[in-house]
Amino acid sequence: MANLQFKALRKSFGDLEILHGIDLEIQDGEFIVFVGPSGCGKSTLLRCIAGLEEITSGELFIGGQKVNEVPPSKRGIAMVFQSYALYPHMTVAENMAFGLKLAGHSKPEIAAAVLRAAQILQIESLLDRRPKALSGGQRQRVAIGRAIVRKPGVFLFDEPLSNLDAGLRVQMRVELARLHTDLATTMVYVTHDQVEAMTLAHRIVVINQGRIEQVGAPLELYHHPANRFVAGFIGSPRMNFLPCALVSATEAGARVRLEDGTVLSAGADARGLAEGTDLTLGIRPERLLADTVAGEGTAKTSVIVAEHLGDTVFLYVRAPGGTGQLTVKAKPENPLRTGDETHLGFPAKHCLLFGPDEQTLPRIS
Amino acid sequence: MAIVIDKSQRWRVLAAHAFLVFLCVLVIFPLLMVISISLRPGNFATGTLIPETISLEHWRFALGIPSAGPDGQMIKPDLPVLLWLWNSVKVATLSATVALFLSTTAAYAFARMKFAGKKAALLGLMLMQMFPTVLALIAIHAIFSRIGHVFPLFGVDSHWALVLAYSGGIALHIWTIKGFYETIPIEIEEAATVDGATPWQAFWRVLLPMSLPILMVIFLLAFIGAIIEYPQASILLRSQDKLTLAAGMKQFLYAQKYLWGDFAAAAILSGLPISIVFILAQRWMISGLTSGANKG
Repeated sequence: MANLQFKALRKSFGDLEILHGIDLEIQDGEFIVFVGPSGCGKSTLLRCIAGLEEITSGELFIGGQKVNEVPPSKRGIAMVFQSYALYPHMTVAENMAFGLKLAGHSKPEIAAAVLRAAQILQIESLLDRRPKALSGGQRQRVAIGRAIVRKPGVFLFDEPLSNLDAGLRVQMRVELARLHTDLATTMVYVTHDQVEAMTLAHRIVVINQGRIEQVGAPLELYHHPANRFVAGFIGSPRMNFLPCALVSATEAGARVRLEDGTVLSAGADARGLAEGTDLTLGIRPERLLADTVAGEGTAKTSVIVAEHLGDTVFLYVRAPGGTGQLTVKAKPENPLRTGDETHLGFPAKHCLLFGPDEQTLPRIS
Repeated sequence: MAIVIDKSQRWRVLAAHAFLVFLCVLVIFPLLMVISISLRPGNFATGTLIPETISLEHWRFALGIPSAGPDGQMIKPDLPVLLWLWNSVKVATLSATVALFLSTTAAYAFARMKFAGKKAALLGLMLMQMFPTVLALIAIHAIFSRIGHVFPLFGVDSHWALVLAYSGGIALHIWTIKGFYETIPIEIEEAATVDGATPWQAFWRVLLPMSLPILMVIFLLAFIGAIIEYPQASILLRSQDKLTLAAGMKQFLYAQKYLWGDFAAAAILSGLPISIVFILAQRWMISGLTSGANKG
């Protein structure tokens, strides 16, 4: 059991700075997910917690103790690697017992701990096998088992599910969630898969280019992204973005003009910005409406492709006046087909506006 | 075998087989010739491959079995061939063990640790190995004769001196093992570190067991190298009873008389320890020791 605290943590490799000052607090027992695109520094941050990378500057506290200079084994952490990193020359039981053996625990004690972990993960029948004789999912369980037996204060997961096939990934995701409920230990989980982040996390930390973009509960990030990056990164299919220009701003909302000349209103507070300022309008695919008839503030365009998935239809439509494409997640009864003409509706309260600095303008609800 | 094959393929296969058979003959012929010479009466280097009469006189000599002289008296062979063989095995085993220990640890440092001058040190090792040892013979002799004044155990005419000299030639081994280590994912050792292992424990209990095949190869190479080495052994060893087989066998070939038959028998003997070590080491030279560690 331990909380974590980062204070202006920086990490450089030579002249290249990877993490530009991370400030974050993780509560005891929390499930935190670091999410971000490849190369954003999320794995480096995890390795800093583990002690596999030295911290260049700043401070890191685990359970109230400053651990900048503490070796990995004394930090009270356990790590599950993306590649599993099992010891190939040892059996499953020996793999799980290795840490306890090094720590000098007695044999019966070790055997009991290994058996307990094996029961939690349902791998009792595999204890005498070598990793070679296990499937991917079983290896992943052993890797998690190896972490559990040490009873760490913090679990670190480095993209643990990325090597599994889609079906197994869902199953292990559910098991990880169950494991966290059972153990109630602090878990820090790194992934680039925002579905894993949304389903597992108490709080998500969105990292981009070595900086924290936003920290918050999954739905908070989904509905109230702090900036354009978070808005685009969280949610699948991703949010639609359209360039627009400010027409007028009042306390009731803002009116913006799209590239094709359509003027529509958005529930955002743009007061203080000059008329004509270039903004970006963001709207989630499930909020964008595609209709066959024109209405107030609709934009005329055409359907590039319609994908019928049974329970939904994805309509890929030409961006009004632009060259890009927008995604509409529509009901299955939507009559539009590939090549049809359509009128897009933008409900004002679901339209986000991003200022010239890419930050989200305050919402008016 | 349902793949359609071009007609010319048959000739190509035939030609390939002919070439391979020729290659086999070329390789095996010298060995057969040596066996033939060792079984032939008298000391002749030339003659038919299959001897007309078989004589065991050279083998008696090599194995130190007394034989009847012309006057009917039993004569004990004057050169201790079996003792030389034992010396060779002793020196080779010791030096291969020392070389293995030094090269695995050095290679670990080069493969996994960061330190100043790493690249220069690696290149330096390689460069030094490029000069044949023969060029340094005088220096080696001078060094060991000096050492002998202070530590007689490591002086000239001591097996320890030879072990020490052989153990120095590990630059290539370091490069080879380093290359092997680099194919092993570092995450496995990192996992051990998180599990509480010190660098030495991660090396000894995790990395080394996975490296068994290359360790066996290096041991074998070092062992063979020590058994067949002649120049250093010939200058560092002097007494009759201290010589290694390679150095001692020179005594079969003096200006007036070349004892080709005895030489051949001893040569076959020197191949024995190598073959035995190879057969023993072979069962460890298996691939796939790291399979299962990762996604695979």
